[in-house]
Amino acid sequence: MTKSTILSGTDLSKKYGDLEVVKGVSLAVNEGEFVCLVGKSGCGKTTLLSLLSGLEKPTKGRVSLDGREITTSSEDELALFRRDNVGFIFQSFNLIPTLSAWENVALPLFPIKMTSEERRRRATELLGKMELGHRIEHLPSALSGGEKQRVAIARALINNPKIIFADEPTGNLDSSTGEAIMGILNKLHKEEGVAILMVTHEDELAKTANRLIRMKDGEIMS
Amino acid sequence: MNLRYLTKELYYQKRRTLMSILGLSIGIALLIILNSLSLAYRQAAHVPLKEIGADITVQRSGDVPKDLAGAVFPCSAVTIRKEEVEKIQKLPGVRGIGTGLLLWVFDPNRAWIVLGIEKENSIGPSLLRSSVTEGRFLEDGKPEALVEQAYARQFGIRLNDTISVADNKFPVVGFVDASRAAKIAVANVYLPLKEAQNLAASSRQLQSVSPFERGDVNLLFIKADQEKITSLASEMKGILGNKATVATPDSFLKLLGSLFALSDKFTLAASLIAIIVAVLIAFKTMAGNIAERAREIGVLKAVGWTNRNVVSQLMSESVIECFMAGILGLLIALVAAYGLSFMKVNIPIPWEMSPTPHFLPGGGDQIFKTLRLPVHVPWNLAFFAILLSIIIGGMTGGLLGRHISKIKPSEVLRHD
Repeated sequence: MTKSTILSGTDLSKKYGDLEVVKGVSLAVNEGEFVCLVGKSGCGKTTLLSLLSGLEKPTKGRVSLDGREITTSSEDELALFRRDNVGFIFQSFNLIPTLSAWENVALPLFPIKMTSEERRRRATELLGKMELGHRIEHLPSALSGGEKQRVAIARALINNPKIIFADEPTGNLDSSTGEAIMGILNKLHKEEGVAILMVTHEDELAKTANRLIRMKDGEIMS
Repeated sequence: MNLRYLTKELYYQKRRTLMSILGLSIGIALLIILNSLSLAYRQAAHVPLKEIGADITVQRSGDVPKDLAGAVFPCSAVTIRKEEVEKIQKLPGVRGIGTGLLLWVFDPNRAWIVLGIEKENSIGPSLLRSSVTEGRFLEDGKPEALVEQAYARQFGIRLNDTISVADNKFPVVGFVDASRAAKIAVANVYLPLKEAQNLAASSRQLQSVSPFERGDVNLLFIKADQEKITSLASEMKGILGNKATVATPDSFLKLLGSLFALSDKFTLAASLIAIIVAVLIAFKTMAGNIAERAREIGVLKAVGWTNRNVVSQLMSESVIECFMAGILGLLIALVAAYGLSFMKVNIPIPWEMSPTPHFLPGGGDQIFKTLRLPVHVPWNLAFFAILLSIIIGGMTGGLLGRHISKIKPSEVLRHD
């Protein structure tokens, strides 16, 4: 069965002043596909991820996510679109330090009209899947790096996204914890069928992906 | 706005929250204390007149008597004619008038300060009724006298003695303790007004300085609408001429000489400074707090919070912080007001308002009304301060929230 394209970027460029960080890149990610964007530090992969996820607008080119052109959307339209369709995993977890694990997971649901019990139920269920059922009330400061990243993965999943954008998700973790996190992402991709676009500079991690895209100096090499 | 997020942010960021609350609370406390102090001085300035049941006293200065013999007018209080009293009575805003007649009586062996009073009028010196220490108060239609207790003791006057004032005999029916009474228009002997008018009308010495008829007086005690006191004072001067001395709470306020008592403008300026300080403190601490949270705001936006969601969250936090600052500021002000209420204030009573011949004992001494400064925080000021805190919170939270909500998530999240 042919899988349809969930994300496509066409002729994407991004300039900061005179500096062109992304140069006419086109790429597509299919439903349920695990794609790795690999390249050295400063090659423009994080910028490309930001363009594709709608965190940033391209200087030139178009991005289409789940069949919707997002490059022309307003800031708030993009925020709402991200809330409903996209999950993010960052290198430094980006958990809110004053919120407990389950509250961090439920953060994207806070602006949605929903009972606190429902938010908690959904967050707790996901934390259970991440084997953090015993840590739901803990603040991020009481969690290890691996636990923090698992909380961040649960947060990325709370809105049942069609695609997850992961920016160096193991960059701040030791190798064994990093492997565990990669295991979770692979499991998500295989069992839940979630599309993943992951940025990394480690070739070893990228091997687990369905497809590898190499970037150099703002351009796709292969 | 998410209440859980709000409370956790305030609770776990204790240092940040406390700094914001403390900073603003000092500004709010300052605002309340300044206004309470100013109000207290204003209320204190009302006391000397209130004690005599009046809002305004009126008298007219005249010439110094040529010879100090028999009944004479003090130079600060000469005749106010019956027709003039009637004109004043008709002024809009005048709610009632009490009259009195103050005389110096120089008998061959003694000098008296004599005050003729209306026995039944609740405005003016008839309030002495409550200061009778022995005997009784004056009764209708009887030529009798009340003597000031200390004066009676000094000159050996006893109850039921008969005293002779300018060759007129009066039985002493009671003693009054002037120290418990008002400091305005105090006398040694109190007579029914009619008797004092008879003394004045029959005194050639007095008539030569200021013509006097039996219905005339030389002291007016006026109860007036509070908001019309100032305008009434100038209208009365218009009726009585430029020699009229019109005393109002404002004139006592000027005598107090304190910065808080001097002018409304000072209090207004000081209050404005306190408000500006409060706003600046709130703005600075909130701006610092919000700047520290730029990354957090970026995360919120990345996971789907709209600008409006972010602004409403930050504004709610700011409003709650400022509300708590308002409450704390109010509590600080209440404690300070309690402390300040032990402060004593001496209100000088001008010699003209209670004239004693300089050669009599205590005649040259400055009289003061001493009282505890009635510092308190009125509920409307407290309400205003709390409301102001909330408005400051809403404004700062709204403005800073709008500014920070424009942040691009990619800008704050890209440099891991």
